[in-house]
Amino acid sequence: MVAALAAAAAAAAAAVTLAACGGGNKPEAITMTSDGCGGAWHLDRPGWHTFQIRNGNDVGGEVDLINPANGAIYAEIGGFGPLTTTPMSLNVGSGKYAFRCLFQDTEPMTGPTVTVSGHANGQPAILPVTYNDLVDPAKAYQNYVGAGLTKLLADVSTLDSDVGAGNLAQARSDWLPAHLQYETLGAAYDAFGKFDDEIDGRADSLGVANPQWTGFYRLEYGLWHGQSAADLKPVASKLKSDVSALLASWPHQEIELVDVGLRTHEILENALQFQLSGHDDYGSGTTLATTVANIQGTRELLSVLRPLLVPRYTALPAVYTWLDRLQSALDEERLPNGQWVPVSQLPGAARQQIDADCDQALTELAPIASITEPRNT
Amino acid sequence: MAGQQEQEPEVSAAEAQPEASGPSGHGGGGTRRTFLQGLAGGVAGGVVAGGAGGYAYRASQPAPASVEANQASLAGRLPAVRFHGPYQAGILPKPQHHAAVVSFDVTAEDRGDLTALFQTITDRARFLTAGGTPPPVGIGGPPSDSGVLGPEVVPDGLTVTVGVGSTLFDDRYGLADRTPAHLTTMHSFPNDDLDSAQCGGDLVIQFSAGNEDAVLHALRDVARHTRGGMQPNWRIHGFSSPARPSGTVPRNLMGFMDGISNPDVTDAKEMNNLVWVQPGAAGEPSWTARGSYFVVRLIRMLVEFWDRVDLLEQENMFGRRRATGYPLDATGIFTPPDFSNDPTGETIPLTSHIRLANPRTPQTASSRILRRAYNYDRGIDDVGDLDMGLIFTCFQQDIRRQFEAVQTRLINEPLVDYISPFGGGYFLALPGVTGPSDYLGRAMLA
Repeated sequence: MVAALAAAAAAAAAAVTLAACGGGNKPEAITMTSDGCGGAWHLDRPGWHTFQIRNGNDVGGEVDLINPANGAIYAEIGGFGPLTTTPMSLNVGSGKYAFRCLFQDTEPMTGPTVTVSGHANGQPAILPVTYNDLVDPAKAYQNYVGAGLTKLLADVSTLDSDVGAGNLAQARSDWLPAHLQYETLGAAYDAFGKFDDEIDGRADSLGVANPQWTGFYRLEYGLWHGQSAADLKPVASKLKSDVSALLASWPHQEIELVDVGLRTHEILENALQFQLSGHDDYGSGTTLATTVANIQGTRELLSVLRPLLVPRYTALPAVYTWLDRLQSALDEERLPNGQWVPVSQLPGAARQQIDADCDQALTELAPIASITEPRNT
Repeated sequence: MAGQQEQEPEVSAAEAQPEASGPSGHGGGGTRRTFLQGLAGGVAGGVVAGGAGGYAYRASQPAPASVEANQASLAGRLPAVRFHGPYQAGILPKPQHHAAVVSFDVTAEDRGDLTALFQTITDRARFLTAGGTPPPVGIGGPPSDSGVLGPEVVPDGLTVTVGVGSTLFDDRYGLADRTPAHLTTMHSFPNDDLDSAQCGGDLVIQFSAGNEDAVLHALRDVARHTRGGMQPNWRIHGFSSPARPSGTVPRNLMGFMDGISNPDVTDAKEMNNLVWVQPGAAGEPSWTARGSYFVVRLIRMLVEFWDRVDLLEQENMFGRRRATGYPLDATGIFTPPDFSNDPTGETIPLTSHIRLANPRTPQTASSRILRRAYNYDRGIDDVGDLDMGLIFTCFQQDIRRQFEAVQTRLINEPLVDYISPFGGGYFLALPGVTGPSDYLGRAMLA
């Protein structure tokens, strides 16, 4: 039954001529079936066009419009439900196009190559990034995190000794490097599972007096709110044991491949929301330093993804331009004695500059998640 | 004079500069500046427009709207208002239903960056006011548009009015010798209670449209494309009520009709005398010609207190009837009050708002302003009273000769007990964008 319907639909779609430029008549749908990915179609001329694409299968999948020469994608319809029709809009340039169908339980298919005449530039196609492409970057990042956790354990051990010895002044000075070390590992927090909450959780839903609140911020709160060494000893000790357990478990954890690209903007999204706002200042006034550590984590991700990004993202230099601007604006707020200006004490113009630089860096970073999303080909 | 109707002509945004609608879109927009030309999201093939210091804005190429989409999507929406012209399009029209006034501080690194910023604002305003289809980006990034107006951006009568504040002419961008002659920071008048966090700004942008979604869409779009170049400083959203009863004038939140008496915006001579900075005006740098000084005053109304005042006292404070809008000495909204016939204020008190604001004497005629007020409403205060009031805006040729003269006459008017000005600023609304290759502030930056 389904096969018969599909065959009929394929026949109907076999010679669809599409009006170019979207004006006038509504174009006929191009139907994708298990027997053919769109059949023959034709565009009179380049320009803006909305294809109506119908999934004639009884299973879901994905349809891409590609450059058949190299598989680069002009447009995609993901999560394409069975027997549904959806528009695909793009600026079609002169050149060769083909649809590619990826349906569940079906071999990938590529439809006929269609040549659009003329000499018009259209929307660029982007080479898809595959799961395989992301394995090495993820592994490199995993190694970076592993090394970072080893250093972190040394840092929190120092902190634990300070508190254990009752030397809270020294603890206040050792808290920052330890916390910053953790904050450079920004892409891995999901892979840390519950450890992230235990090591770097906020008091938000618990309240500052809740004994379940643990980690760096809990310790910061105590160290900068006059709590005693006796109060803080169990906190420092638990921080050390949590980091130790995380380090031990790390070789068995895996960073999701999709996360590698996503985190390139998410780390600084969080920095904007929680650090540059001052939300996560529990007393030390060092959220600008935390943002600098977050930039370092972002740079590490960009570094492992660089071979994939260079051929795909022409605005990549702007990412670095704005990260550099943000970093230098932040560095200006580091005092000669190594202390940092708390966000709440920033002059208005300095704060606007930092926020503007961070906003623009995020705008430039945002496309990377789409470009590096792992795709089946 | 008494009883004679003297209707003040008002024009809507669409009537003021109706955009020729053609098959290519709501308003034939879509021409882009070459150096900003780029494709979706800056992905392979996209162009990064760089100013000095690597400051970059990426622009995208929208699709022209189809005729079919044009007609369909205008249902319930206002048509496009022509963006290009000698004057900015949002100044003369009567207030639209919705508006936002947003102050920004510029964070651009240098003059080149600043130029790129004005070009980008112009580019976005040109697209947003004309409407069209935002470009799809394929797999190259997040969608190029917020989607708040649906797949096609409808113009909905949008106007985007841009002004510059005196702080833009400090030492950052080398513009000090181009400061407009009458541009200062906003003066604090007796009875003001100004909050510096809600005052001033390097730039002001007023977005006005038929619906709040179109206002917010435009604000988000402009902000998104200018993230590194400017930071929002303060903002306030307002509305202009429907005239009730119809055929009258929108009311403020004290229940009184607001802006009944205004200069005639269809009279070019009057506009040249009162609103537009004239070419060759004494002391003015030449780039300011065809601009207009733009005063914004955010005025809280203590509406609970007001509602505890008896009607006659309210009417004496304004000098008009609340129900009808008539001057206390007349039986028509647009009938001018005849103060000469009432020298001691027997009928219209000498301290009433309309009498102080516009004494209607030959000596005060040149102090008239083009009033453009919106109501605002935004939550509650510390004692549980409603925070609502007026976004008073006005346009004029010379702030001291006009707004400040009016405001000086109003010092200590009885109404001051019921209002509290808390924010705003003085700006110069830039000259208009004359065509596809022009941009806001071009002459200022040249």
